[in-house]
Amino acid sequence: MSTKPEFVRLTGHRSFAQRLVLATLTGRPVHISKIRPNSPTHPGLAPHEVSFLRLLEAVTNGSSMQISYTGTTITYQPGLITGAVPGYTSADGDLIEHVVPAGCARGVSYFLLPLCLLAPFAKAHMNVRFSGPGVITSATEAGDLSVDTFRTAILPLYDLFGIPALRVELKVLQRSCSGPRGTGGAGVVELRFASQVRLPRTLHLNRGPGRVKRVRGVAYATGVSASNNARMIHAAREVLNPFVSDIHIAAQYDQAPLVADPGEKAGSKRRMGIGFGLSLVAESSAVGVIYSADVVAPSKGGEIPEDIGKKCAYQLLESIDQGGCVSRAAAGTILTLMAMGSEDIGRVRLGKDIIGTEEVIELARDLKKFGASSWGLRDVEDDDSGDLLVAVRGIGVGNVGKKVA
Amino acid sequence: IEKAQALHGGRSYRTADLARLMYDEALTAQEVLRRWKGEVEHAEDEDKDDESGDSDDGGFFQKSKAETEEDIEDRHIPAFNYDDLAAKWSVEENIELLRQRFTTATLNGGDGN
Repeated sequence: MSTKPEFVRLTGHRSFAQRLVLATLTGRPVHISKIRPNSPTHPGLAPHEVSFLRLLEAVTNGSSMQISYTGTTITYQPGLITGAVPGYTSADGDLIEHVVPAGCARGVSYFLLPLCLLAPFAKAHMNVRFSGPGVITSATEAGDLSVDTFRTAILPLYDLFGIPALRVELKVLQRSCSGPRGTGGAGVVELRFASQVRLPRTLHLNRGPGRVKRVRGVAYATGVSASNNARMIHAAREVLNPFVSDIHIAAQYDQAPLVADPGEKAGSKRRMGIGFGLSLVAESSAVGVIYSADVVAPSKGGEIPEDIGKKCAYQLLESIDQGGCVSRAAAGTILTLMAMGSEDIGRVRLGKDIIGTEEVIELARDLKKFGASSWGLRDVEDDDSGDLLVAVRGIGVGNVGKKVA
Repeated sequence: IEKAQALHGGRSYRTADLARLMYDEALTAQEVLRRWKGEVEHAEDEDKDDESGDSDDGGFFQKSKAETEEDIEDRHIPAFNYDDLAAKWSVEENIELLRQRFTTATLNGGDGN
């Protein structure tokens, strides 16, 4: 790099992980200011954002970041995405250990989503194990997906880009929910992303979204009675049965993780991260069209499993009703990978309520600032669904690591 | 801007509008969406009310407004009002409409994908 490229200047705390991912993928330094400047209690970067920066530092080589004294401004110079290189980025074997500290209220999918966007472009395999008291594998009230939804609704989408999801493994070694005070965790999740590509394939997901042919799901109860699973499943089926007969929801019961409790006498332990929730995924007859829903019991309690099951089923219906080929949870992943593809125009069909979200608008603007071209929008004319066709031109950045090697 | 609003007042969700508004950096994403959905007149009235409220009560309300803006975090799952959803999905018409999106509907005259 002979000439230093200009900083991309952004403001605000939203889409933080997304922006850093774009900076890393395009190799452009970024300057983000005004991160929660007016918050009287928590100005600057939040714990999960700092933790994400550490993760970014661990999977890249040569990144540098400066955070201002108050934490409201950050400059980030991206390095090369290396992945897990034995002896360098990872101490033992080919695995990077990322410890999420206590006090992180976001689920582990907050880290997994951006990490998986980086992983196909890494030089080596992206193997990361998340552990520590801040790892929440369930969905959270902050709006994160559960690991089950992530595995069944997000990872299969990588297949569409020629990134074989078969070689991506997500192992949940210890489940955990957000616990009574919302800051639980102590789960253990291992991601092994072994499909590195030169360039993602151009996506053409512009046909009709097909029809939903089956619903799959996982009900999880961690550290609470396993009967919660059956009750959630029963309630969800009550809502979904009139629509589709092929419903299979697995029940997953685990003990809550046991952690050392420093508050009590030495050597004592306590359970943390108890709770329960439901993840539902609807698969369409069209390839790659997946809708998902996630509801978890609130950390303050007071909700019966039947309500959780019903809410989740309603959320799934709403997600299907929004239409398009991509659900809201997956839109960021799909659109980012499309923008990183070869210099060809890919098309995707989105529902009005999917593209009409602040996240997607912000993503479009951020992508443009990072050097991608504007999206082309046009109505779907084949039917009266009111969906939009979004044409995204790739910027052909691809895998720098593979290019050099 | 007022002229533009008058020109396509009432019409909302037009794709051409979104394509035009999306990269207009003078607007926040929230404003873009409000304009696109045609809620803009209504929303502006609200804003005016807010402002008058602010001047009456000094800086206090301004601060709390900034706070709610700050509180918005990135979500992957939108926050739904589940009572509304439950009401929506107990109406037979809505259920029948959505049934077209399921393979079970092929028997009632669907094209059978």
